[in-house]
Amino acid sequence: MPSIETEGLTKRFGSLTAVDHLNFDVEAGEIFGLLGPNGAGKTTTIRMLASLISPSEGYARVSGHDVVKESLKVREIVGILTENPSLYDRLTAYENMEFFAEAYGITDRVERRDRIRELLELFDLWERRDDKAGNFSKGMKQKLAITRAIVHNPEILFLDEPTSGLDPKSSKDIRDLMEELSRRENQTILLSTHRLEDADRLCSRVMIIKDGGSVVVGSPEELRNKIAGTPLLEIRLRKADERIVRSVEALEQVSAVSLDADPGRMLISLDDVEAATPLVVRSVVEAGGMVLSVNVVEPSLEEAYLKLVGGDSE
Amino acid sequence: MRIEKALLVFRKDWREISRNWQVLMPILVVPLLFTVAIPAAIILIPGLMNAPTSSTAFLGLMVENLPGQIQAQLSGMDENQVMIYVMLLYFIAPFFLVIPVMASSVIASDSFAGEKERKTIEALLATPITDGELLFGKALVSFVPSMLVTGGSFLLYSATVDLLTYEMFGRLLLPNLEWVLLIFGLAPTVSLAGIGLTVMISARVKGFKEAQQISAVLVVPILMMLFAQASGVMLFGPLMVGALTLVFILVDILLFRLGVKIFRREKILSQR
Ligand SMILES: Nc1ncnc2c1ncn2[C@@H]1O[C@H](COP(=O)(O)OP(=O)(O)OP(=O)(O)O)[C@@H](O)[C@H]1O
Ligand SMILES: [Mg+2]
Repeated sequence: MPSIETEGLTKRFGSLTAVDHLNFDVEAGEIFGLLGPNGAGKTTTIRMLASLISPSEGYARVSGHDVVKESLKVREIVGILTENPSLYDRLTAYENMEFFAEAYGITDRVERRDRIRELLELFDLWERRDDKAGNFSKGMKQKLAITRAIVHNPEILFLDEPTSGLDPKSSKDIRDLMEELSRRENQTILLSTHRLEDADRLCSRVMIIKDGGSVVVGSPEELRNKIAGTPLLEIRLRKADERIVRSVEALEQVSAVSLDADPGRMLISLDDVEAATPLVVRSVVEAGGMVLSVNVVEPSLEEAYLKLVGGDSE
Repeated sequence: MRIEKALLVFRKDWREISRNWQVLMPILVVPLLFTVAIPAAIILIPGLMNAPTSSTAFLGLMVENLPGQIQAQLSGMDENQVMIYVMLLYFIAPFFLVIPVMASSVIASDSFAGEKERKTIEALLATPITDGELLFGKALVSFVPSMLVTGGSFLLYSATVDLLTYEMFGRLLLPNLEWVLLIFGLAPTVSLAGIGLTVMISARVKGFKEAQQISAVLVVPILMMLFAQASGVMLFGPLMVGALTLVFILVDILLFRLGVKIFRREKILSQR
């Protein structure tokens, strides 16, 4: 049984269709990424899956429970990091955690205290536990909100832009945490993000949505290769000139060469990078080029993404 | 309904409110005005200056129109005593309905609309707490402090009145049966009606301020009517106070039925 399954999942706000007939499954233990430009419907999708709002059409099941008919059960087993940190500014970090831990059913006092301590220490917030959440910095609030989302060890975790506002170290901590939760605890994680490197690194599969509809689903690798194209060869020279470019272009395996604004950088499209690289390098050298470095440049998920959503992300 | 979940919401809101001066100020200052400042003025000022004759004439006219039962209470008092007695025991009474309504609606708008405005509602609605538990916890946190304030105000008011008038009347004026019924019967039911209305308004608006404004527009006219009636009701004695309490119990039931219908988590989040 998939951990999350949707069929024809749709949400309308008046005449606007925010989410339009989404069909996707997420397997247990998977980290599934939801990508898409602003207003694509990521947050709305997550809200429906977390039983916060109900679909206008279609259905979704989370761990086998219907998000409409068994909404209480769904809310018990999922954890959610909402788009806004949604913390009580007048309560301290500890009081915030205490409230949510109990709301999520951790009724035993000692267990609750230990769990909160463990998590706050993990995020370097334990020392600040008695400070009002309202006095926290943006990133600290985000970390506290993530702590809240996982306090009850949910089977399924929804994270709406988890690394927004975080410094590089904290972002890495969160990524490590997600990997650990998915690998060790077999938690299913659905995350929405604008950081394509994160999605690339973490997700076993991503879905790109636009105007509420799914554009493509697949592993980051599939999307990179299929959509952004094959890898490119990058050669840096001490000095590049037309003669070198022409001699490379003359090779049979080369389909295109571009000389970068950066004076000595050539980007070469090849049908088969591995096989053709030695030939290309030899012809550059023979044409008198002084080679500084040779690299294979993988297309990024970003390129694939930009091709798909038409470049108007962020 | 799991009562411990409702109480959890209650405790959380209680903590928040006790640190929120925007909420605490009005519910502490207004009662102090009614319980200490106004009665002290009524008692002390006529003694300091001689009451102007026009007001004495007005008072005489008013006293003539009082029900016989009260006229009997007034027999043997001098003019000054009559004025103080009628003012303190009857004409101030309606203010003691303002206190619970004001307190409960200030807290309820903070608790419902305020939580929406501060965007904390989403995480709250994501928890496995049901609509009923949430509504009950929040109604309770609006009701309990407002009753504490009302009860405290009554104690303070009785003390002020008795302290300042004992010498003049030779007996304790408060508490009496009408007042006990007013504070422990009518005030709670009126307060519940205020909560019911505020919950309904809060579900429809964006924030605390807006909820307060609409409450003011809706509540003030109702209060005015109450005002006009309450002195009369007090004058007509305990039975009338009891009857009005019953009427408000019915109003409460109606309002809460409606409130439960309107309070749907889906709606609260879908609104912008
Ligand atoms: N409660 C609501 N009422 C009306 N329209 C809404 C509501 N919530 C979302 N929308 C609309 O639905 C669309 C999708 O919004 P959503 O918040 O899901 O986008 P998103 O993909 O999360 O965007 P972002 O990357 O900016 O967070 C937007 O056009 C938005 O204006
Ligand atoms: Mg969003």
